[in-house]
Amino acid sequence: MENNEKKENAGEVFEIDMLELLDCSKLEFFRDDAGFISLKYDGNEYFNVMLTRLVPFYSKTTYISVAYDNEDREFKEIGVIKDMKELSPEQYELVNSYLEYKYYMPEITKVYSIKDNSRGFIFVDIDTTAGRKTICIRDWYSNFRLLTDKYLYASDVDGNKYFCDDISKLDKKSLAVLEIYI
Amino acid sequence: MNLLLSAPEGEKLDSFLFALPFNLYGRAKKVRGNLCVTKDKKILVYVDNKLTDTYSFEDYDEYACEQLVGCSMMVGRRNDVTQKCICAFTQDNFIAYAELCKILNHYLTTGMLVEKSEIDEPKCPKCHLPLDGYTECPYCASKLKTFSKLIKRIGPYKKAFAVAILCTIFGELLGVVSPYINRLLIDGYVMPADGGTADVSAINWSGFGLLCLALLGTVVASVVFNYFNMRSSYYVALNLGQDLRQDVFNKTLDLSMTSISKKTAGELISRVSNDANKLQSFITDNGKQAIVRIFSLIIVMVIVFAMNWRLAILAIIPIPFVMLMVKRLYNVIHMHFSRSWRCLNSYSKLLHDALNGIRVVKSCGTERMEISKYSAVSAKWAKAASKAEVVWNLIWPVTDFLLTFGNYFVLFFGARMVLGLVPGWGSMTVGELTQFTSYVTMLYTPMRWLMQLPRTFADASISASKVFEILEEQTDVRDAKDSVDLDIDGNISFNHVYFGYKVYNPVLKDITCNIEKGKMIGIVGHSGVGKSTMINLILRLYDVTQGEIKIDGVDIRKISQQSLRSQVGVVLQETYLFEGSVLDNISYAKPDASFDEIVEAAKIAHAHEFITKLPDGYNTRVGNKGYTLSGGERQRIAIARAVLHNPKIIILDEATASLDTETEKQIQEGLNELCKGKTTIAIAHRLSTLSNADQLIVLDKGRLAEMGTHDELMRHKGVYYNLVMAQRQTTKMKKVEKAALA
Repeated sequence: MENNEKKENAGEVFEIDMLELLDCSKLEFFRDDAGFISLKYDGNEYFNVMLTRLVPFYSKTTYISVAYDNEDREFKEIGVIKDMKELSPEQYELVNSYLEYKYYMPEITKVYSIKDNSRGFIFVDIDTTAGRKTICIRDWYSNFRLLTDKYLYASDVDGNKYFCDDISKLDKKSLAVLEIYI
Repeated sequence: MNLLLSAPEGEKLDSFLFALPFNLYGRAKKVRGNLCVTKDKKILVYVDNKLTDTYSFEDYDEYACEQLVGCSMMVGRRNDVTQKCICAFTQDNFIAYAELCKILNHYLTTGMLVEKSEIDEPKCPKCHLPLDGYTECPYCASKLKTFSKLIKRIGPYKKAFAVAILCTIFGELLGVVSPYINRLLIDGYVMPADGGTADVSAINWSGFGLLCLALLGTVVASVVFNYFNMRSSYYVALNLGQDLRQDVFNKTLDLSMTSISKKTAGELISRVSNDANKLQSFITDNGKQAIVRIFSLIIVMVIVFAMNWRLAILAIIPIPFVMLMVKRLYNVIHMHFSRSWRCLNSYSKLLHDALNGIRVVKSCGTERMEISKYSAVSAKWAKAASKAEVVWNLIWPVTDFLLTFGNYFVLFFGARMVLGLVPGWGSMTVGELTQFTSYVTMLYTPMRWLMQLPRTFADASISASKVFEILEEQTDVRDAKDSVDLDIDGNISFNHVYFGYKVYNPVLKDITCNIEKGKMIGIVGHSGVGKSTMINLILRLYDVTQGEIKIDGVDIRKISQQSLRSQVGVVLQETYLFEGSVLDNISYAKPDASFDEIVEAAKIAHAHEFITKLPDGYNTRVGNKGYTLSGGERQRIAIARAVLHNPKIIILDEATASLDTETEKQIQEGLNELCKGKTTIAIAHRLSTLSNADQLIVLDKGRLAEMGTHDELMRHKGVYYNLVMAQRQTTKMKKVEKAALA
């Protein structure tokens, strides 16, 4: 009996440290007048919630943290959506559009050329899902690199980010141009 | 900074006060948008040239730029809560919008509308690269300009450098003389005699002996010149390298924390040692070589053209083609060496990380993982370096062969001229041909050097830009021209202080408070609220963005940094102990302290007892950041160091946070001795540590929320009360947890 009590106590104490997975069927996101996303969940209403991809480079639709700032502007996490697939299509669209906005990151579809100014900057002429442009990258050894064997990540001097989730999908010429830098 | 950039179609740009473009709107859709600020204090938002929203300045009480991950947005806030996203844009517009928000907020707090931004353009108008505090764009500067800066550094050693150059020139001249003596020997003594048998008695032995002696003389003289050349060259090289390393090191210590924190320790170490060393050898080898090789090229060129211009043209025919080819290949070579350098850098970083964090590695049992990471990086570096060398060695022999191809023309036509088979080209003796081919070979030597130049140039230009980046960086915290050395009493006042590590993102907002001399002040608040930032500002590791901090009524920007910091003592949570003995580490703050003073300081800090118990006493070596000592012992040494420093102001930043309660009590005694009668500012996460403070400053969301004694603030039941209650709750929970685990 005493042991059981101890176990219960331990359960209570550690519960707050557990990963709170949200029940997607109860989630009701809606866009407020200012363009921010709010949420009704379990009888509570949370305004201006923050949706965060916990592993943005590995997955765009799984492990999405849902949080808000309380009146003291303290970070409070409501929980985590394990997989956005469990959301209804409308809810999925709403959450996804917010995340696409927050993580606005054009995808690199072609690399035409890379010029090095020998002073730590490179100028990369690329085609992206947002159009063709030449991006300037400082400290290219940190800001133009492979995060995994395939995932190319680029961050330009202004802080804009670009990615290519699988460089092997690029054409041969792009790969040849990239080869020397990655 | 220009904030009048683009107006919607059909509107005149100058009809607005500010007009900035934006390119994102609802659901991250790309649009052509304009945000325009009018003189009658309105904000107009146009999307695809249509007016969609109009705001008055007063609609919100604060405007801010919120940086998301891939884009940013300008938002309006009321009562510290984000109310509305006004527009969104990619990060290239961020600084302009942040500046606009600053101007709008300035209007909201002062009622004055600034019509022109006073900050400098953040980008070079020519190349659009960020200026990062440089007055002149370092990237538009020509490479030659960068290298001329390097050559100028030879100045203090010009005499030795001149000796080296003269010796090399004389050595080169002797090289020109040798083929001529060889020609005389061949033509005078190696020619076959008429009729078949040579008549030995007809040989002019004295002439032959003189020529042999002259030949020997050139060899001996070459050795002598070479000796003096090497001696002077090394003298220049070593001194120049030392100067460079010293300057980079001095400048690194002189830089503000803002600049320092942008670079890792490994990167700075690499710049001080590796890059400076590369430049050292570049200047001495290539700086001298450039003068000598060009000189030698001119001399040899004149001689060969004077001897036979037709053969001379044949000899140099391939050179322009090879040069053109090399120029084309330069980029490929550069990229490969650049990649190899990048791999070397990652290798150094990993090595630095693994060895610095050896305790963590060992305690996590991740030695194997680190070994495999090391071996992967090391292999990658080896592969990149080997590829660079392979490319170089593939290109080099081919180009070298093509370069010297003219020699075959010379031999072919020269030999035919000796045999008299080329009518109209004149005749030639065997000696003349030998002399000519020797000169042609000498002609190719500087050419080869010129061809190798891209490799060394590429390598050195990367190092040069890295070294000069540090040497020329403008430090943003520097002494004013009229700065004074102040004998500090200890009164500190914050007057409407705003500060952000990034100007557009304030950490501290409108802090106004007075700290009286001799009082103990505690700064409390949640993590990241700006407690340590306040301390950094008192130490002037950073300058305030707005407002002022005064010590004894003098703005700290008017007090020399040396004078200020020599009178402020700091005890941090993590004490850094330098390589050396306990004695060295205590006396670090006052190197001229007598041993009596050091022992006295150790006694006040309650460190004397444990030091006495160490086998080597005060001479005990503290290796590897002092990890041979316990946390409490290291902290006591830090307190002793601060006591010896005898500061007027004492800063305790979580000085006892990493210690257990028992050790904290012992340390506290030392701290109390240290702080007696001095202005003390303490940050402590455990609020109980600060309960006897004369006053507590409570920070909340970057603002000063409350100020008073512990009792006053508890009665007030505000932010501090909540903090204390939350901490008590946590303590209770920990007790329950312990009980449950038991």
